[in-house]
Amino acid sequence: MDLLQNLYAGFSLALSPTNLLFAAIGVVYGTVMGAMPGIGSVTAVALLLPLTFTMNPTTALIMLAGIYYGVAYGGTITAVLINVPGDSSTVMTTLDGYQMALQGRAGPALAMAAIGSFIAGTIATVVLMSLAPSLAQLALRFGPPEYFALVLLAFSLLTAFEGRQPVKIAVATLLGLLIATVGLDVVGGRPRFTFGVPQLFGGISFVTAIVGLFGIGEVLASMERPYRLDVLQARFRLRDVFPGWQDWAASRWAILRGTLVGCLVGILPGAGATTASFFAYLTEKRLSRDPQRFGRGAIEGVAAPESANNAACISAFAPLLALGIPGSATTAVLLAGFLIWGIRPGPMLFQANADLVWALMASMYLGNLMLVLLNVFFIPAFVAVLRIPYTVLMPLIVVFSTMGAFSVNNDVFDVWLMVGFGVLGYLMKRLDYPVAPMVLALVLGPMAENSLRQALILSGGDLGIFFARPISGALMAMALLAYLYPVARWAVRTRGQRAAASGLSTGRG
Amino acid sequence: MWAADLVGAVSVVALGAAVVVASRQLPYYAEYGPGPGFLPFWLGLALVACGLGLVADLLVRGPRHEGRFVQPGSWRAAVVLGSLVGTILLVPYLGLTLGLGVLSAFLMRVLGRHSWFGCVLVGVLVVAGTRWIFGVWLKLPLPEGPLGF
Repeated sequence: MDLLQNLYAGFSLALSPTNLLFAAIGVVYGTVMGAMPGIGSVTAVALLLPLTFTMNPTTALIMLAGIYYGVAYGGTITAVLINVPGDSSTVMTTLDGYQMALQGRAGPALAMAAIGSFIAGTIATVVLMSLAPSLAQLALRFGPPEYFALVLLAFSLLTAFEGRQPVKIAVATLLGLLIATVGLDVVGGRPRFTFGVPQLFGGISFVTAIVGLFGIGEVLASMERPYRLDVLQARFRLRDVFPGWQDWAASRWAILRGTLVGCLVGILPGAGATTASFFAYLTEKRLSRDPQRFGRGAIEGVAAPESANNAACISAFAPLLALGIPGSATTAVLLAGFLIWGIRPGPMLFQANADLVWALMASMYLGNLMLVLLNVFFIPAFVAVLRIPYTVLMPLIVVFSTMGAFSVNNDVFDVWLMVGFGVLGYLMKRLDYPVAPMVLALVLGPMAENSLRQALILSGGDLGIFFARPISGALMAMALLAYLYPVARWAVRTRGQRAAASGLSTGRG
Repeated sequence: MWAADLVGAVSVVALGAAVVVASRQLPYYAEYGPGPGFLPFWLGLALVACGLGLVADLLVRGPRHEGRFVQPGSWRAAVVLGSLVGTILLVPYLGLTLGLGVLSAFLMRVLGRHSWFGCVLVGVLVVAGTRWIFGVWLKLPLPEGPLGF
């Protein structure tokens, strides 16, 4: 069978000593970075991306993917022991995880999160393996209008899921698209917005922008509000860590439901692990026979979101690999990596680079296995990492960001650009403009513009081409609906407030 | 924060307007279809629209007391930014890796009040580590100063 053959080839490549070593480096580094509050998966991946420029792409991808799903494991440690999400995908875990830790059950909370993540990750890898090739088959029929519609859908879903401040999300997206236009115009070869600076002719490097926005921007924002971490004392002997049978009984369906939610949400463009964990927690609470227990240390409240965020991390690779469209900021960074290594993700990837794809998916099983072992048996080691003061860690982030920006073109000019993006990232954070849509727009910008212009060349300038073709028409309709969603919600809320106000006034009279 | 938010929104409008003006210098339509000025023009216009929406919203809601933009800890962010800029300016004299080593030690000492020994140790490790990873392993031509770092 084809699948078994591919799997065999994938595992034999993933099990090579080099690839195993880099998968291990990725998951350990990911767990450590995930445990650090304020450092999310985007920063963790972006800081190491420059090191992979000259690496074998398969090895590099295995390591970076390991970081990505490793961060979700590490974030849990902080969420449970400090009540601060180490990564945004562990926000929901703080609700019940910290309560469990207060009740002296930090061990079972962390172990159940790790085991749930492992089960979810394994199932999601199977889903990815069976789904991605067929998605790639479908995508072979995509032309420029479909790709443009898909990119628009990713942006619109980001707006709908984020929910808060849709106009600021739109501004962030537009800014990202605008920055992506700097450099030589790909269709006509004419320089745009380069201000006569030769270094800008090749465009603004994504790595420079991302280490500035996330590395430097995050350091500036968090130095302003220094925090002290109060790590809850807990016992992590094996006896204290393993969940009891009651915990298992409570968690098994939560893990499976979380996995399902995670897989579904992860595949959607524009929604990532954070959204998935949120939906999984709400689903679990709604289905529970005793919803009162949630927020008071219910183990299902840890198992469901933790399973969901890991499942979403893995299933998010389906659109990335098969369509070349990342669904979240972190997968956008991975897409940038692909482009740097000279590999174009998309339907052709499964033919041109089948070995890479299958080795990556095989490495996900292995990586998750390593993570569950690490996160059950070595919790104290990761807790010790939390005691590193931020004032030691922060200079290291600055150093790595600077070296990363420099290494893009071996030019100090990129370091200056990075500082500029750092200030921009800091200002956006302070003024509440989300950075993730900008990152997605930065990476997808050239593709969005090319497909838009190619589609309009095909149609002779008629916008109808986006709606006339069935797949692109459906995608466009979904995108427009997603954009209308915040507007509709706003209208309903305003009407509701007005009705309440008038009800109040008539009641008085 | 209200004033800072307003400044942000006005900057969005200004940026959008500048992009619209600049994109008019580029051909909007070429013989093969939409030209290089096509997308920037619409992006600029959309930025102006979004920015005006934000401005209008802020003006309707009126000034509110949601804290100030400058916080008691803002000087720490300024120290990080200022010393990073200083380090980049000093690259021709110190070299990149030595500069970053000094920067790390400086930030640890000023912001973390760590012991001199710890600061120097981390500084030395940063120089050695970056030289090894980026210079030896990745073989990047690192900018060096007269000191040879």
